[in-house]
Amino acid sequence: MNLIDFLRKSVENYGDKVAIIENDKKITFYQLHEEVKKFSNNLDVLNQEEIISLISENSISFIIAYLGIINSGKIVHLISPDISEINLFTQLKSSKSKNIICNQLMKNKISNFNSIKATIFDIEEILFKKNNKKIKFDTNEHAYLIYTSGTTSEPKGVIISHSMIEFTTKNIVKVLDYSNSDTDLLPLPLNHSFGLGCLHTSLYVGSTLVLLKNASNLEEILESLKKYKITTLAAIPATLTKILNFENEKIEDYFSQIRLIITNSTAIPKKTVIQFKEILKKGNLATYYGLTEASRSTFMIFDKNNHREESVGKCSPNVEIKIVNKEKNNLKLGDIYIKGENVIKKYWNNIEANKNIFENWLKTGDTGYFDEEGYLFLNGRSDEIINVGGEKVTPNEIEQTIKNIPGIDDVVAFGIKHEIFGQTIKLNVIKSKNSDIDKAQILSYCMKNLEKFKIPSKIDFVKNIPKTDYGKVKRFMLK
Amino acid sequence: MTNEDESKEIIKNIFFEVFSNLDKNDFSWEKEQKDYENWDSFAQLNLITFAEAKFNISLTLEESIEIKSANDLLKTVERHLA
Repeated sequence: MNLIDFLRKSVENYGDKVAIIENDKKITFYQLHEEVKKFSNNLDVLNQEEIISLISENSISFIIAYLGIINSGKIVHLISPDISEINLFTQLKSSKSKNIICNQLMKNKISNFNSIKATIFDIEEILFKKNNKKIKFDTNEHAYLIYTSGTTSEPKGVIISHSMIEFTTKNIVKVLDYSNSDTDLLPLPLNHSFGLGCLHTSLYVGSTLVLLKNASNLEEILESLKKYKITTLAAIPATLTKILNFENEKIEDYFSQIRLIITNSTAIPKKTVIQFKEILKKGNLATYYGLTEASRSTFMIFDKNNHREESVGKCSPNVEIKIVNKEKNNLKLGDIYIKGENVIKKYWNNIEANKNIFENWLKTGDTGYFDEEGYLFLNGRSDEIINVGGEKVTPNEIEQTIKNIPGIDDVVAFGIKHEIFGQTIKLNVIKSKNSDIDKAQILSYCMKNLEKFKIPSKIDFVKNIPKTDYGKVKRFMLK
Repeated sequence: MTNEDESKEIIKNIFFEVFSNLDKNDFSWEKEQKDYENWDSFAQLNLITFAEAKFNISLTLEESIEIKSANDLLKTVERHLA
């Protein structure tokens, strides 16, 4: 069953039901399917291409374009609207994508990127093009491609197949009980595995998906819960923690009909879990552990009788996780490896990254351990990646950018604890002799050259950076 | 230019740096977070970081969460500078 079959199934069963709501716009499953087919036909000018890049904020148009590209037998390369020029250049080069579909605003932005030579198409123009041709499309084993930060500065392309999507979606539905009677609120970006998994689930079970653009607009999230009679909400831990700043009575009222809040494995404060367990009278908070490369590998439902608030739960059905350590003991801290049909077979055009996959086991780069009842606890990353609110950042990328600023001799970037984001980025900077550069100038440079989640939250000017005799930074000594 | 005028100018510039698509005519001291399309939690962090660097102050988590407009940021900064 491929992703388009999910939609076809829902058209057969609930054709006239509203599939997606975006502000005042609504589209039924039947209309969505028609628009998807039309979009695929209108892609005829790109018939020879295997990969098409798509950049858009959450919208019905995005979903039509996403499914339309897949329906035409091509692979969608999903890109965040916040992407920097250098990252876009790297991704296009690695993916070999020569065409970008995006909205007018993004088109204006990308047109100013001198290094980008791809052809840019306006999503609305493709949507509204009149084309009577009926084209027969090939099927493709793969559905989409997302780039995620690697242990080096080069982003890694993660290619997701239809069979992985089917496996993961069925696990989500089975464990979290999604059904066609749900109305799901999604304030998360659809260019990320978390948001996409929610979209796939809604298409599969035939529930209505309410899309929001901005997860920070807490009032809009809370109002939407009531307005659309929401039954499930997907939100990152930072959003949930901030919601707790509202009056308790008000929160309990807003969440009175919610049966499920799903969050992800970015460190969720224990206090937030405990408070939501109290708030949700008719439902549960749940989390999962996964990577783009191995989506939803565990699930944890924080029910009232389970006091493992810091666990990411048990393995998903038919997913195996092992802990590799000297003791050969899953109960002791070690490297986390995952195996299952949700795990990628290989990275996209990246021989180096493929070394992390051996005999179908993916080395995640995370460390953790199981308790005696099979609940997994995460400990951190075995490499140097900084996890800012679920976004993975490599220190090397930040350091290379900062080193381009005149007046800086050396710099090291590393993660520091943050109550809301889990981690944020700190820089220790050594100024050149006689340099009068200040922190605000460094930040301004970062704003122009890095995505916003990569902007440091703290900068210190230091006299030296601790290094080994081989010049490698002693990261454990940084503070 | 008074100190308050200077602070206002700096904060206004911070907003234009963080929201690079913000048109000069669209800036308003009262405009709230929910009315900005790109004011997500990362942009919030960037605003606070810029203000801390420009004014050499340090905001608490509670203060940071409460900021929902340019005016809120101005008031918080002024409180620290007083």
